Amino acid sequence: MSVHALKLTVNGEVRTGEVGGTTTLLEFLRDGLGLTGTKDGCSEGDCGACSVILNGQAVKSCLVLAAQADGGTVLTVEGLSLPGGRLHPIQEAFVAAGAVQCGYCTPGMLMAATALLDSNPSPDRAQIRVALSGNLCRCTGYVKIVQAVEQAAAAMDRDR
Amino acid sequence: MSPQDLIGGRPTRIDAFDKVTGQALYPADLRVEGMLFGRVLRSPHRHARIRRIDVAGARVLPGVIAAVCGDDIAGPGTYGLVTPDQPVLSRTGGKVRFVGDAVAAVAAESPELADAALDMIEVDYDLLPAVLGTAAALAPGAPLVHEDRSDNVLHSVHLRHGDPAAGFAGADVVVEGHYTTPFVDHAFLQPEGGMAALGADGRVTVWVATQWAAEDLRQIAHALALPAGQLREIVTATGGAFGGREDISVQIVLVLLALKTGRPVKMVYSRPESLVAGTKRHPFEMHYRTGATRAGKLTAMEIRMVANAGAYASTTLAVLNTAVTVATGSYLVPHVAVDAVAAYTNLPVTAAMRGFGSNQPNYAVEMQMSKLADLLGMDPAELRRLNLYRSGSTLHTGQVLGAGVGASRALDSAVAKGAALGLRPGSGRNQGSKRRGVGVACGFKNVGYNLGWDDFSTAVVEAYPDRATVKIGACEVGQGVTTAMAQLAASRLELPLAAIHVETVDTDRVPDSGSSSASRQTFVTGNAVLRAADEASRRLAALGPNPPGSALPIVAEVTYHAPATYAMDPATGQTQSANYSYGYGAQVVEVEVDTGTGEVRVLQAVASHDAGHAINLTQVEGQIEGGFVMSQGYSLLEEYALQDGRPKTTTLATFLMPTVLDAPSEIHAIVIEEPDPEGPYGAKGIGEMTMLPTPGAIGAAIHDATGVWLDDLPMTPERVLRALGSI
Repeated sequence: MSVHALKLTVNGEVRTGEVGGTTTLLEFLRDGLGLTGTKDGCSEGDCGACSVILNGQAVKSCLVLAAQADGGTVLTVEGLSLPGGRLHPIQEAFVAAGAVQCGYCTPGMLMAATALLDSNPSPDRAQIRVALSGNLCRCTGYVKIVQAVEQAAAAMDRDR
Repeated sequence: MSPQDLIGGRPTRIDAFDKVTGQALYPADLRVEGMLFGRVLRSPHRHARIRRIDVAGARVLPGVIAAVCGDDIAGPGTYGLVTPDQPVLSRTGGKVRFVGDAVAAVAAESPELADAALDMIEVDYDLLPAVLGTAAALAPGAPLVHEDRSDNVLHSVHLRHGDPAAGFAGADVVVEGHYTTPFVDHAFLQPEGGMAALGADGRVTVWVATQWAAEDLRQIAHALALPAGQLREIVTATGGAFGGREDISVQIVLVLLALKTGRPVKMVYSRPESLVAGTKRHPFEMHYRTGATRAGKLTAMEIRMVANAGAYASTTLAVLNTAVTVATGSYLVPHVAVDAVAAYTNLPVTAAMRGFGSNQPNYAVEMQMSKLADLLGMDPAELRRLNLYRSGSTLHTGQVLGAGVGASRALDSAVAKGAALGLRPGSGRNQGSKRRGVGVACGFKNVGYNLGWDDFSTAVVEAYPDRATVKIGACEVGQGVTTAMAQLAASRLELPLAAIHVETVDTDRVPDSGSSSASRQTFVTGNAVLRAADEASRRLAALGPNPPGSALPIVAEVTYHAPATYAMDPATGQTQSANYSYGYGAQVVEVEVDTGTGEVRVLQAVASHDAGHAINLTQVEGQIEGGFVMSQGYSLLEEYALQDGRPKTTTLATFLMPTVLDAPSEIHAIVIEEPDPEGPYGAKGIGEMTMLPTPGAIGAAIHDATGVWLDDLPMTPERVLRALGSI
């Protein structure tokens, strides 16, 4: 099996490692770096629980080979909080709106929502729904998740 | 936070911070030094006898530490919530009974090695004729799924109330319908998983995502013939349950492997394994005859239902009993006959899933009511209102309903909100290829264990003047029980919520509070927590303003027993009290049917549910919204499909559940509070009831839009087109 040396920036820190040619970014984050906040729900891109932000875009990390992320910049749920440990507005909104139940879809939802708000600070409800449509949630019926993204957008707008 | 804000307010979840920061640890996130990885070999056959099983080949691989089958188990090697009839692993001479049955297990240094080891296990099967449906199971001379039984009947119930013949004689109209429902998977986002480790003291600790740790230990102890004291279970963060974690998954195999290897062993199912091996909701086939007067008063119901019990018993007995106790839905019917049977098949194991036997009859009843309203030319809400249960109603089980019946308030509020949104049932059919319609339906289900099962819960409160710890065995599966229980304790100890610590469920440290199922924890454990907090509060007060440190903490332990229920009379199904509490709800749904493609979209929904009293309003709304969308999936999308008993939908790309784009952009959740006199602050249960009206409401809305009835779930585009005569 081929081995690739990796160097990438994860949550603001330069990380290195060696991975096999078939190692996914999800496996590298969880098993290689111990960043278990990113969840595995299906391993084949159907559920979105493993969503992270790679080079500014939300991706399903089970569908990206770790080697493809070489040289890139990755943000996971562990890197979402602001300096000083303060929650990011999207995290605060998920807590306040009741958007969290079992929590297993939550990290992926947070990353998909963050990628949306980074590129479109004032999305309407239809845009939010499209941005989250690759992320399954079995608990909430999505209502409070969508509301949380709306609230986070409003809060971030106030802070600007 | 004032008591008013605390009970019925919107405190945020205690576990939310850990979940939004990625710190909450689910089974797959556990890792310890020297950990091995477990895997299970599963049957590719539907029904076969094991002539020979040889795990030695797997043990030869370097890095494979253990390979075991049922022959390596000293104890009975079987488990099951009601009847222990499911083998943990196969034994020589034993049988496999469905595709996915567990045959053998391995523990290896890496997941890849464990996979490779499975390929080295040799099994010789003698194939047996498979029982692929309930009709085949009940046919004379059918092959026996369990040969220690005389037939494939797992359970049957016969209920007679009033005089059904007279009831039909007094009917002006009779509606007759035949309804079917599919296998459905819980499809919680976190696949089954856990870890077990043998300690220096010879005890084994299991970390697992579950609904009932104490019962898991009882089943592990039985299967492996271990003293219960040798076992300990710690519940991890749990990624949804919905009934699917009430049964054993990884627990017993993990303990077996930990004992064999002496090392920690972790096992996490892949998604296909979760779908193939996990329990399912029971498919039901139901035949309903409903008699009514011209004025719309129900006079009689005759009901036959056949439930597919799958390969093993699990909780099928209780599911079928529950189905019978709610067989007439939310409606008073003076004359009722129910004949229900559950049959073993060589198909997936069916067991608890959110609603527990009430979803299927509720769908059939509501379709019957919609057809009856159509036949009589009555407003469908008015027909329902005329027949809804009220306090003092005598159910078909013979039970008389006490106070706290919110059925009418739920229906009236849902219809009123719908009207305000412009959603009126029967408001006329559209022309063209995109037709909109509105449907209304009700829902009814019991809270808690029923029919003579003692439903109890124990809570311990350890109180200091400025803080307290709550010890309960209630599993947090996402529903929010931890936060609700902290609120209840804080309200009686007169402490801020932040001063209450709820311990993680650890069988060494917390009492048995029963399962997180049957919508029971708020009611049963809630009552235990209130009483324990009250006792702690009294004893603290008795110590005066400056209690000596030696007297602290005050430890109050209370076991609360819910009001008694009684088994059904075997001949008539009658009982003094089938259930100690019920939940009520009603929903109004607008759909758009594409008559070209058969696709049904849910545009708007109103869901009104009687929670008795909302302890945490945000969490109750979350149950209503989540239950609605899960039931929308049940109505329109979801089926665990099999072909000749072999699974077809083994990924989330083929077992379809609603995405955010499928869900309506607005779900108007209405919380009705018609207090239960026995509930904590009047609370009932809410988790399951939220699913019940949806299939009937969607079915009615499709009829409103198109004029056709869909009598089989799910109401797929193909079925819609067939009903329309397009294919």
